[in-house]
Amino acid sequence: MIPVAPVVELRGVGRTFAAGDVSVPALAGASLSVGKGEYVAVVGPSGSGKSTMLNLIGLLDRPTEGTYLFEGIDTSDLDEGQRAGLRSRRIGFVFQSFHLLAHRTVIENVMLSTIYNGMPRLERVPAAEQALIRVGLAQRMDFLPTKLSGGERQRVAIARALVTRPALLLADEPTGNLDSATGGAVLGLFDELRADGLTLMVVTHDAQVSTHADRAIHLRDGLIEAVA
Amino acid sequence: MTDLVVPAGAENVAPAQMSPRDLAAEAVAGIFARPGRTVLTVLGTVLGIGALVATLGVAKTAGNQIVGRFDELAATSVVVTNEQGFFGGPGGDVRAGIPSDADARLLRLNGVNAAGSFGPVEVGAALVRSVPIPDPLAQTEFQMSVYGASPGLLGAVRGELSTGRWFDSGHSDRADRVAILGTGAAQRLNVTRVDQQPVVFVGEEAFVVIGILDEVRRQPELLNAVVIPEGTAREVYGYVSASTVQIDVEIGAATLIAEQAAIALSPNEPTLLQVQKPPEPGDLRRDVEGDVNALFLVLGGVSLLVGAIGIANVTLVSVLERVGEIGLRRALGAARRHVAAQFLMESTAMGLVGGIIGASLGVLLVVVISAARTWTPVLDPVVPLVAPLVGAITGLVAGLYPALRAAALEPVEALRAG
Repeated sequence: MIPVAPVVELRGVGRTFAAGDVSVPALAGASLSVGKGEYVAVVGPSGSGKSTMLNLIGLLDRPTEGTYLFEGIDTSDLDEGQRAGLRSRRIGFVFQSFHLLAHRTVIENVMLSTIYNGMPRLERVPAAEQALIRVGLAQRMDFLPTKLSGGERQRVAIARALVTRPALLLADEPTGNLDSATGGAVLGLFDELRADGLTLMVVTHDAQVSTHADRAIHLRDGLIEAVA
Repeated sequence: MTDLVVPAGAENVAPAQMSPRDLAAEAVAGIFARPGRTVLTVLGTVLGIGALVATLGVAKTAGNQIVGRFDELAATSVVVTNEQGFFGGPGGDVRAGIPSDADARLLRLNGVNAAGSFGPVEVGAALVRSVPIPDPLAQTEFQMSVYGASPGLLGAVRGELSTGRWFDSGHSDRADRVAILGTGAAQRLNVTRVDQQPVVFVGEEAFVVIGILDEVRRQPELLNAVVIPEGTAREVYGYVSASTVQIDVEIGAATLIAEQAAIALSPNEPTLLQVQKPPEPGDLRRDVEGDVNALFLVLGGVSLLVGAIGIANVTLVSVLERVGEIGLRRALGAARRHVAAQFLMESTAMGLVGGIIGASLGVLLVVVISAARTWTPVLDPVVPLVAPLVGAITGLVAGLYPALRAAALEPVEALRAG
């Protein structure tokens, strides 16, 4: 049997920001591997490099050192257009502040991610409906996001990330703007998605999140401190 | 060991695609996200394009109107004057007199309907009076112009006699003591009929009134004057030559006759005669169009520029406001060019809509102005078709900088800011 490549593989990845003459290493020498179907939490205090790592893994940023393989593809060989293409087809994002378009309905927000990945027009509405049913918002499809609660908005964002059937779901502080009850509901949804076989990486400083994950990667001052 | 594994889905690294239809849909959605602001933004282009279309339309309409009011009377009149020579009275320095056979010379030109010459007769301080009946209550003697005229003058000025007749060449050749009174002169001299051959005296010279000139379409000074045949004027007062030749020409012949008349009258020194011809209708229309256009096109251009700045400004504000959305779209797989294209499309669409509305309002304005003035609205059909295009180009140019700003945003920064 041919072994399947891990979804995410970092080999000594670092990211240094140049601020004037001073260079600030936000992440250094990070090596990790996330296999298909894994649920990994990235935890650490603010400024520890969590978001930098997430941006690198999400192909929103390029490492200044090391090699990043996404599904076995060396991403340093890819140009901007190819990286955008990879994002549109293989990576789903969930943000702390949801990033929903206020003037578009729930289903339009979900379909937004289908216009950049070449999904045929006829498949978009069924796919978006399916994703919304999956996150439990079948009754809210034609609402504007402003009419929804915080937990519902985050579930719309999750549906938007799921509609393209990505290989990896990246969540950046998904419960940061939610109270503990609705946050718990979102984490429950992540558990279900993991059970469906989705690969998840969640960046958080919330200890509750890491208890749901298969393992937690602790970051401190840009270094991987421990893998629990 | 990981080098041995098969990378999954090489087709997944194909660059992100976005169909033009999706692009248009996103742009339209962006425009309608803030309808109020969009309306205000579009207003600038509406005013600019509207002003341009209205200007072009009104200029064209007004220019056409001048042709519509084509003055048949003025267009058929050519006047030759001799201002440098001395006319009337003996002993003058006659440099380029109008010949006594001016009528005949001009009638030989093709296109001349009638020609007649006249000039003031030097009568000294002589007053004009009718039958000398002393009336202590009324003024009976008047200072009046006396003109010597050729027989053809009546036709050339399109005059009409209320009574009697005009003199002919016989009167002139024989130097008959006859006179025509202008209607104003006749009234003052109290002459109303000529069947009893009333006599007027110019100083001590008596003239039989043979006709009263009721109306002239040209040279209205004749209406307050005593007009005598030029032969009579020559004999009695030593009249030398006419000062003015009035020519009535065929429509369209004015320019040609104006060139030929001076040569016909004074072949030796035609430049000493001044020729007045009607303005060319084509020139006139172009002049009016030019005047109106130059001024208002500048105004329209300024409005359009203001409109463009408005679009640029609002699009830029919109980009800054939607930084989060831009970051999101980049995360969802939009390439820089997709983001740039979306904002360019939005500004272009606003310019296009502004152009369409502006062109409609401009056309409407031309119609309203024309209706108020009872003109026939005239508009080059190309104008309302090109105007929306100009609006769209305005929007496109105005959106360039904001779109590039949007495309230049780094997704990480944009997501954090939004």
